[in-house]
Amino acid sequence: MTKKKRTAGTEGPQPGSEHTVVAELYQRFGPGSIVFQPTVDRLPTVWVARDELPEVLRFLRQLPQPYAMLYDLHGVDERLRVRREGLPPADFTVFYHLLSPERNSDVRVKVALTAADPRLPTVTGIWPNANWYEREVWDLYGIVFDGHPHLQRIMMPRTWQGHPLRKDHPARATEFDPYALDAAKQDLEQEALRFVPEEWGMSRSSAHADYMFLNLGPNHPSAHGAFRIVLQLSGEEIVDCVPDIGYHHRGAEKMAERQSWHSYIPYTDRIDYLGGVMNNLPYVMAVEDLAGIRVPARVETIRVMLCEFFRITSHLLFLGTYIQDVGGMSPIFFIFTDRMKAYDVIEAITGARMHPAWFRIGGLAHDLPKGWDRLVREFCDWMPRRLDEYDKAALKNGILRSRTIGVAQYDTREALAWGVTGSGLRATGFDYDLRKARPYSGYQNFDFEVPLANNGDVYDRATVRLEEMRQSVRIIRQCLENMPAGPYKADHPLTTPPPRERTLQHIETLINHFVGVSWGPVIPAGECCRMIEATKGINSYYLTSDAGTMSYRTRIRTPSFPHLQQIPSVIRGSLVADLIAYLASIDFVMADVDR
Amino acid sequence: MDYRLTPIATDAAPGPAARADTDVTEREVHRSVFLGRLEDVLHKAVGWGRKHSLWPYNFGLSCCYVEMATAFTAPHDVARFGAEVIRASPRQADFIVIAGTPFLKMAPVIQRLYEQMLEPRWVISMGACANSGGMYDIYSVVQGVDKFLPVDVYIPGCPPRPEAFLQGLMLLQESIASERRPLSWVVGDQGVHRIEVPSQREQRRAARMATTTLRTPDEV
Repeated sequence: MTKKKRTAGTEGPQPGSEHTVVAELYQRFGPGSIVFQPTVDRLPTVWVARDELPEVLRFLRQLPQPYAMLYDLHGVDERLRVRREGLPPADFTVFYHLLSPERNSDVRVKVALTAADPRLPTVTGIWPNANWYEREVWDLYGIVFDGHPHLQRIMMPRTWQGHPLRKDHPARATEFDPYALDAAKQDLEQEALRFVPEEWGMSRSSAHADYMFLNLGPNHPSAHGAFRIVLQLSGEEIVDCVPDIGYHHRGAEKMAERQSWHSYIPYTDRIDYLGGVMNNLPYVMAVEDLAGIRVPARVETIRVMLCEFFRITSHLLFLGTYIQDVGGMSPIFFIFTDRMKAYDVIEAITGARMHPAWFRIGGLAHDLPKGWDRLVREFCDWMPRRLDEYDKAALKNGILRSRTIGVAQYDTREALAWGVTGSGLRATGFDYDLRKARPYSGYQNFDFEVPLANNGDVYDRATVRLEEMRQSVRIIRQCLENMPAGPYKADHPLTTPPPRERTLQHIETLINHFVGVSWGPVIPAGECCRMIEATKGINSYYLTSDAGTMSYRTRIRTPSFPHLQQIPSVIRGSLVADLIAYLASIDFVMADVDR
Repeated sequence: MDYRLTPIATDAAPGPAARADTDVTEREVHRSVFLGRLEDVLHKAVGWGRKHSLWPYNFGLSCCYVEMATAFTAPHDVARFGAEVIRASPRQADFIVIAGTPFLKMAPVIQRLYEQMLEPRWVISMGACANSGGMYDIYSVVQGVDKFLPVDVYIPGCPPRPEAFLQGLMLLQESIASERRPLSWVVGDQGVHRIEVPSQREQRRAARMATTTLRTPDEV
């Protein structure tokens, strides 16, 4: 990377030095080493040279009020990007999104790489959760991380050739030969899945006994989906384990590069498939920021209401399977009845149950139907009593408590180091909920509490979520009582599809409408990341627009990915039964891990 | 009932090629003989038994599994159809529901699980991904589970509602009740024969096209 021209140094403040962290970086490394990039999300973004990267990141990790969490790490293939004025030349970029809960602010560090030499040093020594992220970047972009302890494919099968997120890699399955699975291929693929302990630095025996290696998954009733974890067992005790993911990789990030901004919305529903429209929210908010759309208050409130409905259905499913996994069979049958009640409301409003794809760029698909308030009120009256019952009958149950209290414990420091967000972080007593910390979509207007617990064990993660459901009902009730009047779409040329009044005036408006729904809107160039407190933790969409009808790069940061990466550090030394309880308490779905 | 007997090509022991049921005399003679009737009765009894005690394999891949699990619980109560005995081992299960996306990395695993199921076994493909890849024409997804497994019933939807799953289950039951499988490895024809099932889309098209007024979404 070339050193930036130093004109600003003498005449005025360096670009971006209004951000404290950027000023700190200028001060420590000198203006020549740091290239500031203005972004739409106003998240301080700096480019640094590859050789200086470890030092810069270590500095940020050790600052007073440090950037304790590596929130995200991924790559971009820059080779086809046109609109990159003022940015250092690059074929590939790797970005590090760091989060400081103490400052309640973030910083994004980028490194430019050439296609001839796509390598850079690992940061696993600074943040342990860099491990899986770096493996994924290697898998999907072919970027090598020198010094990585185990750089190997994580999403794709080991037999795979190529790096799918590179722009020159085919996207469609139908661009490959039709799939066939004969006996030889079956054997080959199964052999590739074989677990070899030595590869992971594990020994097959101790001085006194042989270890047993147990495959749990990729299809196991308590693995909650296509998830595999290989256990190294000494009797019932887990000596070590290796989670193996990628069985649920649907290429959602590649998919975004060939869907219009509008037609990608249904794919977001299927990321955290229990979160429904809550997945639409960070995506449409990021697109709206790029487009410069401000949505009306009614849209914000309806969005909040539906998101909280999905928080309840997701947490209910968590609670049911959690109790089931520690041995209580009946609550899940009651809980599905409650989920049906919630779905009745969701369906009446959106027309679908799990994947409504109901939010739109600049608004919603419809207004609320007549009579919605009666349905919502009925639900709000129904739910709290049921929650009390689950609390009393299941969570206060002695067997459940003794199975879960003190099991799979971790503290706030560990949680931050592993990138844990959501209820798992709040169960350690750390008050960090984005709805309070960085209110979005009008959450600042609502009166609710952030439930916390202290022990950070399996039991606390359930009590926190139970209380969160009560708070969600409280938020929904406030939406019900204070629903603003007004339009359900923003009055903006890029609102998709545009409000009807904007389409039927004359031939010009009609053509605009036609182009907007066929090619889709053209979103101005820029980068924007929007984060939300999703059902399972912090979820964000980091969109890069190259001023086209499709996204140039869509990075989906999901909370479940780091949560699974943390498993070995928490569960070493516990029993197999504790692992099952721990898995249930994480509350993950594999689509939210592998995307 | 008129049978068109078609052997299932995918089975390990393939039966004779499609038998056109034309020889009227032979058929009538066979029917009038006591053993012929007994065979019919036995087939019907076995089919009835199989139909009403289908044990599903507890297998889920993605979103569709949640709707399938919804069908298993109280509001939909799959026990009404005799299919509530969910098995965690493929060796004890009668049918597998491919509920979700058949991923490239998962396909050999699905194949292995299917191979571990004992005959008679059936496959329901649930949802757009399992039927055809659906929304995911993408490098990591097999474009339909029927690329490597023989599918008996396809359930459309993304995801299908629990009611759709129940309907798929009932269609499978109907098909099982009229299936002819060998009663013993020493008695009679060793092939598997089943009736041809007309497509639901064809069957319902007239009624669907006749609908002219749809409810607006403006009211609950």
